Amino acid sequence: MFFHIVMERNMQLHPRHFGRNLRENIVSKLMKDVEGTCSGRHGFVVAITGIENIGKGLIRDGTGFVTFPVKYQCVVFRPFKGEILEAVVTMVNKMGFFAEAGPVQIFVSNHLIPDDMEFQSGDMPNYTTSDGSVKIQKDSEVRLKIIGTRVDATEIFCIGTIKDDFLGVINDPATA
Amino acid sequence: MRRRDEDDDDLEPEEEDDEDYGEQEQNLDDELEEEEEEEDVGRGRSKSKRRRSEEVYEDEEEYEDEDDDYGGGGSRKRRNKRSSGSQFFDLEAEVDTDDEEEEDEGEDDFIDESGADIPDEDVGRGMHRSTLLPREEDQEDYEALERRIQARYAKSSHREYDEETTDVDQQALLPSVRDPKFWMVKCAIGREREVAVCLMQKFIDKGSELQITSAFALDHLKNYIYVEAHKEAHVREACKGLRNLYTQSIKMVPIREMTDVLSVESKSIDLSRDTWVRMKIGTYKRDLAKVVDVDDVRQRVTVKLIPRVDLQALASKLDGREVVKKKAFVPPPRFINADEVRDLNIRVERRRDPMSGDYFDNIGGMLFKDGFLYKTVSMKSISTQNINPTFDELEKFRKPGENGDGDIGSLSTLFANRKKGHFMKGDAVIVVKGDLKNLKGWVDKVEEENVHIRPDGEGLPKTVAVNEKELCKYFEPGNHVKVVSGTHKGATGMVVKVEQHVLIIISDTTKEDVRVFADDVVESSEVTSGITRIGDYELHDLVLLDNNSFGVIIRVESEAFQVLKGVTERPEVSLVRLREIKCKIDKKNSVQDRHKNTICVKDVVRIVDGPCKGKQGPVEHIYRGVLFIFDRHHLEHAGFICAKSQSCSVVGGSRANGDRNGDAFSQFKTPRIPPSPRRFSRGGPPIDSGGRHRGGRGHDGMVGAIVKISQGNFKGYKGRVKDIKGQTVRIELESQMRVVTVDRKCISDNFNTSTPYRDTPRYGMGSETPMHPSRTPLHPYMTPMRDAGATPIHDGMRTPMRDRAWNPFAPMSPPRDNWEDGNPASWGASPQYQPGSPPSRPYEAPTPGSGWVNTPGGNYSEAGTPRDSGSAYANAPSPYLPSTPGGQPMTPNSVSYLPGTPGGQPMTPGTGGLDVMSPVIGGDNEGPWFMPDVLVNVRRSGEESIVGIVREVLQDGSCRVVLGLSGNGEIISALPNEMEAVVPRKGDKIKITGGSLRGATGKLIGVDGTDGIVKVDDTYDVKILDLAILAKLAQP
Repeated sequence: MFFHIVMERNMQLHPRHFGRNLRENIVSKLMKDVEGTCSGRHGFVVAITGIENIGKGLIRDGTGFVTFPVKYQCVVFRPFKGEILEAVVTMVNKMGFFAEAGPVQIFVSNHLIPDDMEFQSGDMPNYTTSDGSVKIQKDSEVRLKIIGTRVDATEIFCIGTIKDDFLGVINDPATA
Repeated sequence: MRRRDEDDDDLEPEEEDDEDYGEQEQNLDDELEEEEEEEDVGRGRSKSKRRRSEEVYEDEEEYEDEDDDYGGGGSRKRRNKRSSGSQFFDLEAEVDTDDEEEEDEGEDDFIDESGADIPDEDVGRGMHRSTLLPREEDQEDYEALERRIQARYAKSSHREYDEETTDVDQQALLPSVRDPKFWMVKCAIGREREVAVCLMQKFIDKGSELQITSAFALDHLKNYIYVEAHKEAHVREACKGLRNLYTQSIKMVPIREMTDVLSVESKSIDLSRDTWVRMKIGTYKRDLAKVVDVDDVRQRVTVKLIPRVDLQALASKLDGREVVKKKAFVPPPRFINADEVRDLNIRVERRRDPMSGDYFDNIGGMLFKDGFLYKTVSMKSISTQNINPTFDELEKFRKPGENGDGDIGSLSTLFANRKKGHFMKGDAVIVVKGDLKNLKGWVDKVEEENVHIRPDGEGLPKTVAVNEKELCKYFEPGNHVKVVSGTHKGATGMVVKVEQHVLIIISDTTKEDVRVFADDVVESSEVTSGITRIGDYELHDLVLLDNNSFGVIIRVESEAFQVLKGVTERPEVSLVRLREIKCKIDKKNSVQDRHKNTICVKDVVRIVDGPCKGKQGPVEHIYRGVLFIFDRHHLEHAGFICAKSQSCSVVGGSRANGDRNGDAFSQFKTPRIPPSPRRFSRGGPPIDSGGRHRGGRGHDGMVGAIVKISQGNFKGYKGRVKDIKGQTVRIELESQMRVVTVDRKCISDNFNTSTPYRDTPRYGMGSETPMHPSRTPLHPYMTPMRDAGATPIHDGMRTPMRDRAWNPFAPMSPPRDNWEDGNPASWGASPQYQPGSPPSRPYEAPTPGSGWVNTPGGNYSEAGTPRDSGSAYANAPSPYLPSTPGGQPMTPNSVSYLPGTPGGQPMTPGTGGLDVMSPVIGGDNEGPWFMPDVLVNVRRSGEESIVGIVREVLQDGSCRVVLGLSGNGEIISALPNEMEAVVPRKGDKIKITGGSLRGATGKLIGVDGTDGIVKVDDTYDVKILDLAILAKLAQP
């Protein structure tokens, strides 16, 4: 799920960046530092949408670095248990398949793939129904439900299922 | 209880209780069997209250009950007067006490009476009926009877009857010297019960002639029975004429042990059908078996096993041929197929079991069904605890009986897995048996057998107590769990499927699915990899394989390792079993990279050639010119990359940089750690930053290392180890200016790419300490000045200190006076360090930091390199030897320097002090080793290091550096911690960055261990200086 939230961060800036462009420097450094990161609490920071305010800098003794408290708005993406997501399959193996929904990696175990889908090994490993009408392989797009998340400090890993109504392949590159 | 005849009606209720089996007994012919039956019941009952001495009387009770049943309650053995725990017995006890006085009057009375009664009862078993009949007639008298009992009961209750037995009361019940004793009488094995019954019968027959009070046999004690009597002679008398009793040796049980005799250990083996057990003995030893029938009376169970039958041997045996007995050979377990057996001309008899109605194949005296062997064994030959059937075993059991022999996750399996106390508060559980089946809840409290659960649902009581056996842990797909027992112990993962009591989890590390029992896992957010070790080999070990190839273990599976072979062309992984591994390679050698830099373990190298070009990481193993590099960002092969040493280059120039920095740091540390022998004796990592002179200063190897805290409150923080004390480590956090104490287990020290330990031997001891204070961005204060001041000092000062610790020679630990009076010259001699007022500084310095950094610095460098004197005692020609005393002032005790603040200093040298310090040192800007024209490697985070020349040292410690060897590149300003001096080689022009000759230039004409032999340009003197204070000079 996406959220638009305000977060705060203390930015340390080298004195060489001081000057007219101080603000820009802070913002660009913030973007570089923050976008694409993942915190267990908020999820992945997708994009910074705006700066709320930049506080007063504090010079750190001894180093000359200055710390600015920066409040910024950003879009974060955090997967939740029970959430339905659309994801792109990145890897298929006999244990299941991995899919990605943006920055989140989701593993769908073969126990969570409908029983009528069988693993076919080979050049392009895939899961196929017995009649061959549905095929999950690399780059397929699937809709899945997250049944569990493992949240580390810097990573979110999900386990998903497609063993439910209205879940499964939504767009197959092979047939498209 | 004697004179039961009189009180017979009083006892009616009690007999009522016994009536049911009394009646049963009538149907049985064999008296012995009756007895056994009775005893079984008794045993069952006695379970409920054991460990009490009343047990004795309880047992007697049984006999008595029997007596009653047989004989209409006539002749009774003399009862002991002590009351027993249950009301039932208390009642009797009551009666006893009533008669107490009479009892005391003498035995004769008793004997006469009961003797008189005996003939009546002895008429035969026909009397049973008559026993019961009057009882029925008495029915209407019950109320009267009850009243009478009540009256008696009430009368004496305050006197002796103690329902709420306190400890004291209990004590009072213990046998005393005046009570009859137990005598152990030997009897024929297996006849214990029989003998006891015989004695009883004899008592019935002879009654009062026998002066024993009881006789009993214990199930667990073979070869003996106990007889209770006052005198040994009485026992002998009673035993006279009985078969199977050997009265030669009658032993008395000491009073103290009497209670033990009759206390029953709670060894309730709860054997029921479908329990998993393991065989203890024989061919099937340790085999899994399933109980199909239990015969409690005969203590035998019928179990189902996977047969281990050597049909060939059987066939030849049945044919009467000689069978060669091979002792060690145990046939492998396999299912028996009747047809197969017939093919071997073995007769297969198909028989119907009269009890169960099932058909069994009888082959050579063994019973088979569905391929399984059905075997009846003694309960003693099976073990019921800690069965832990594996999935393999269970699968096998299921195989032939596809007809619903039961799922693996059946309840029986569940209970076979149980360990004591595996439910913990907060566990999600589900009731799997009984009325509350399928009720979910959370464990609230665990008592012995009962688990109080908070049920999940409306309108239910707050907690429900459920027997442990009716509960099972409950998980839902998506739970993150940790396996706490079984083959996958230690693994963590997420539940993807729940099949009854079996969970399928996806392991966090391998992403493979694992089947585990629900009971084996707990919910947890931890992430671990499971087992990391088989035998002597551990994950990430370098091992030599059978075919002389070698590789590093990148994964440990249940019975095999995945090994990344030492082949550099392409990554080659093979699955290796334990036995295929020859040995672990634990060599610490070094090789040269393509630039002839030496690489040793833990050096960070970059791969510049080959398939993994561009990868970078610390070297984990070196063998035969092949490096195993660990790159955290490399996802395959657990991050390991195998590369030729020739296709790599060491990152960050060469060794000495690290060394000098490290020295600086550890030097800084050293004084604070009183080098007490205790520390030395501890023993620690073999490679050790400070251990060069001593060969290991215990765990100090970790001191100064940058570590990451992996658990606890400070999880995720990085910091530098300040001190290690036992299991706790004091870490100076990088992110917060403070020192915290954490458990040693909570830190991971492999976090730093260039870890503190290196291979000492190669460099000779001195220069090894590989700390990089100059790189640690968060310790800016310590970088330049410290380095400058420190480096030279360090080696100097450390040596004397050490020595001092070890040699108690006085010269080494100068008193403070010396310091003040003795060395004024030395102060004057180090101009660089005394822009201020050096002599006073050491005393006034607000923190130990400054004291150390500055004073000794001046001192030592000025004094020449005292280090020489230390490390090279033998180095007689060293011109600096005489100056050794210069090192003396460096008494490790900070007090001598800072008389004012003796308190916490040795322990809290860290942040506070240093912080305050920094400006002080900063002002002293001459200190750093960064000097103009010195060649440095500039390392910016995330970038490769670039060689540059220091042009100017700025006030804040940073430098203006011209990039490029020739000095025509971009000019940047670099922080001290981004720079490392380029270590000079033989023949290089150098600049001396510390000591009395600081600033002088010269030529390095030789390297001896950690010392450089320098020809100073100005004076043409040849000096021996620490390499650490030599920096390569840029070519003009």
